[in-house]
Amino acid sequence: MKIKNFLSDVSGASRVTKKRLQSFEQASPALTDMDPIGSVAREWHPGLLELVVTSIKPASKTAKTIRLERTDGKKLPFFYAGQYIVLNFRIGESLISRPYSISSAPFEARGEKPFAEITVRRSRGDGFICDYVNDELKVGDVLTGTMGLGQFYYEPLRDAGHVMALAGGVGITPFVSMAREVAAGSLDIDLTILYGSVSSDDIVLKEELDRLDEECPRLKVVHVLSGEEEGWTGERGFLTADIIQKYSKGDTSYFICGPQAMYTFLRQELKKMDIPARRVRFEVFGQARDITAFEGYPLELKDQTFTITVVRGISQVQIPAKAAESIVVALERAGIRIETGCRSGECGFCRTKVLSGNYFVCPEGDGRREADKDFGYVHACAAYPTSDMKIKIPIL
Amino acid sequence: MKFYKDHYDVIVIGGALAGLSSALMLADRGLDVLVLERHNLPGGIATSFVRGGIEIEAALHEMMSIGPKENRLKVGKFLDDMGVDIDWLPVPEAYHASLPGLEVTLHPGLERFAQEVDTMVPGTYDRVLELLKLCDTVFNSVNELSIHPMSKAKMLLKHEAFVKTAGYTTKEVIDSFHLPQKAVDLLSPYWIYVGSGFSDLPFTIYAVLMADYVGYGSMIPRKLSHEMSLKMAERAEEMGVQIEYRQHVDKILVKDGKVYGVRTARGDEIYSDYVISSAYPNTVYTRMIEPISEVPEKATKMVNGRRISLTAFSVILILDRPAQELNIKDYSIFRSDTMDTDLLYENLAGLGPYRYLTCICHNYGNPGVTPEGTCSFSVTVLPRVDGWKEVKAEDYDRVKHQVAKQVIGDMSAYFGVNLLDHVLEAVIETPMTVARYTGAWNGCIYGYAHTMEDHIVARLQTAEEEKFIEGLEFAGAHAISGDGMGPAVTNGRKAAKNVLDHMAEKEAAK
Repeated sequence: MKIKNFLSDVSGASRVTKKRLQSFEQASPALTDMDPIGSVAREWHPGLLELVVTSIKPASKTAKTIRLERTDGKKLPFFYAGQYIVLNFRIGESLISRPYSISSAPFEARGEKPFAEITVRRSRGDGFICDYVNDELKVGDVLTGTMGLGQFYYEPLRDAGHVMALAGGVGITPFVSMAREVAAGSLDIDLTILYGSVSSDDIVLKEELDRLDEECPRLKVVHVLSGEEEGWTGERGFLTADIIQKYSKGDTSYFICGPQAMYTFLRQELKKMDIPARRVRFEVFGQARDITAFEGYPLELKDQTFTITVVRGISQVQIPAKAAESIVVALERAGIRIETGCRSGECGFCRTKVLSGNYFVCPEGDGRREADKDFGYVHACAAYPTSDMKIKIPIL
Repeated sequence: MKFYKDHYDVIVIGGALAGLSSALMLADRGLDVLVLERHNLPGGIATSFVRGGIEIEAALHEMMSIGPKENRLKVGKFLDDMGVDIDWLPVPEAYHASLPGLEVTLHPGLERFAQEVDTMVPGTYDRVLELLKLCDTVFNSVNELSIHPMSKAKMLLKHEAFVKTAGYTTKEVIDSFHLPQKAVDLLSPYWIYVGSGFSDLPFTIYAVLMADYVGYGSMIPRKLSHEMSLKMAERAEEMGVQIEYRQHVDKILVKDGKVYGVRTARGDEIYSDYVISSAYPNTVYTRMIEPISEVPEKATKMVNGRRISLTAFSVILILDRPAQELNIKDYSIFRSDTMDTDLLYENLAGLGPYRYLTCICHNYGNPGVTPEGTCSFSVTVLPRVDGWKEVKAEDYDRVKHQVAKQVIGDMSAYFGVNLLDHVLEAVIETPMTVARYTGAWNGCIYGYAHTMEDHIVARLQTAEEEKFIEGLEFAGAHAISGDGMGPAVTNGRKAAKNVLDHMAEKEAAK
């Protein structure tokens, strides 16, 4: 290969080396930790926060709103209305985490007196932890949490400018956050909330929703009662295609959050309306209520208890694990920390390597990566032991 | 409870491609290796995530230096040798260039590429091929010299082209071929993956990039880059490497100029005489070395004297139509209103509107990558950190959406289809996203800019003098071979080799 004539120079390497060393000589000797992009990332996602309960107020006959602030009084991280917080509880020997949709608005997390609120209903959802939060948690209690998680929020690149929330029961909470944010002028959408409850007593945060509906022209709240109730002049029945149609206007994105039975029902109703897939978003619904009800679950094993060998680093311990409870629940009962997020199989925070043994993965919402499936990784919140197992989890 | 051994031969900070390559090579030599990764899965940005039931590639556009099974290139061969068996799929084209007065899809293979350029700009075949062959010669020299260093005299004899072009910029060398501007434009689009304007980009780097990419084409793993990262991690564990996820290394422990271990954010102190850091030298020398007094002034001046290269901004869309129906016809499209790389490099210092867009539709290389009737389409800008450094936390969401709308708007206009009418899932990745998941200094994915002041040849020459702390090696985009997923593997191997050499020297001294 003949090099172009003017490139007859053979001292290039020495020249560029000298240049490089010169530029270092001229550089500042000051130690400067200037990583503003990293700082913004940390402001949005600071990791585990220490939080204190600063108030507990009734949100309905059976629900309470719990206000959390940072123990150091600082602002809470940014988040999108509709996202959740994971709270960690120590109850007896157990270390338990739960995701809760944040019912307060993002702007309230960044105000003068920054806070975040969750609203929890008694004895619905998954049992004793709801009762614990309702009955045992008190003002002044300190706990840890991670917030700004989940994909259930308005994304302007994707969603229509009119959002219709289809809520059931305590599934109203992400929409309360959105409604507050819309009313404050910091979320640029029109929001219609169709909120299904059994009776008017069951409506969570009714006063606030009605007040926001009154105050904000971009916001409409429609209560729909499924039970008979004297004197009720509002909408009745379930959230059917008819009633959804009645309140839809033009291009609408449907956001759905509520109990599992409502999802099954709404899927049918929305199908009738011929809505494009990109306009429908379901919030993950949390841990399967009864894994044994899913197709393919080995029913003959459901009452068994297996042993899971848990490897962390070079150590291992053995813990009991019930067949009908997820691996995460077994770990939490044994007081072994595992990070969890959605507890629906989706987010992958509890990604765990199965070294040996068999398991059943909840077919609903399996969010695993393909290569992970090939190598025996599970999201432990949605995986159930069907034999003795050996797993490896992060050291926390 | 005891989670770690009393001592490891080597501790690797970061379980991405570089760190895992180090670990594989060291384990292959029988060493006891611990990898500490801050995230809960391997790969760094060579990863994927699931949205709405669809697994989405986070970062990989094309993997270079793999080559077909019967004729592997450097990285492909290393992975094969290590027993990492990846299901590679060939990327069907080099790129589609959409530039002023030019709309053409070019394909790999030096002759074919030159022919296709000639079709657009007649009469250029010989000169374009000559230039590409020069690139290839330099590329082969770099590959050989990075493994077998030799004396300058010998180098001049055996690697004449490499030696003689070392002192020149890409612009200077290309200009010497007297090609029409349009032909130069068609030879330029891939510049963005090394990210300096041609008047400051060492020709050596351009040559390596073009010869590898245009000469040999590229590959992608069928199950996205997570397949590659995970298979490397799994293989490493099989070879006895201990990998611990969710372990953020806070400090590198140093005494009398020598490394003796690390401390994690969790508080574990773990001991080893060797640490390979995927964390940037900037991070290491400003916040990780303990005590900080062990950082020599020369190290500080070095990190202050180097220019941080590019970061990444991507909008990834899952669309509810097959690509053809949306007028998306290529795997990779480079679109710009100019191909003046110096101007474009300036443009990358801001927050947009960005003029140089890189688009990928993975379905063309990996048909099953999204469900039937859908496709994946991403637009990437690789901006300099300068503009993004000014973004405040409270403005972050507004800025990222503003940029996303600009780049999607520009591509929608090009396709004549409003892509926003078809979005099943939308993900915006920003420099902050990179920083969040990998901890990379200022979210930079490309290490230090390849410039005439920080030339790869100079980096090789001064590497020994820049080992400021004994036992500390660096692996990642910030190491000598620079950015890209292929070079990450090479950087990891190099760091491992340095450790092995040092061990051998110590052994010999005994």
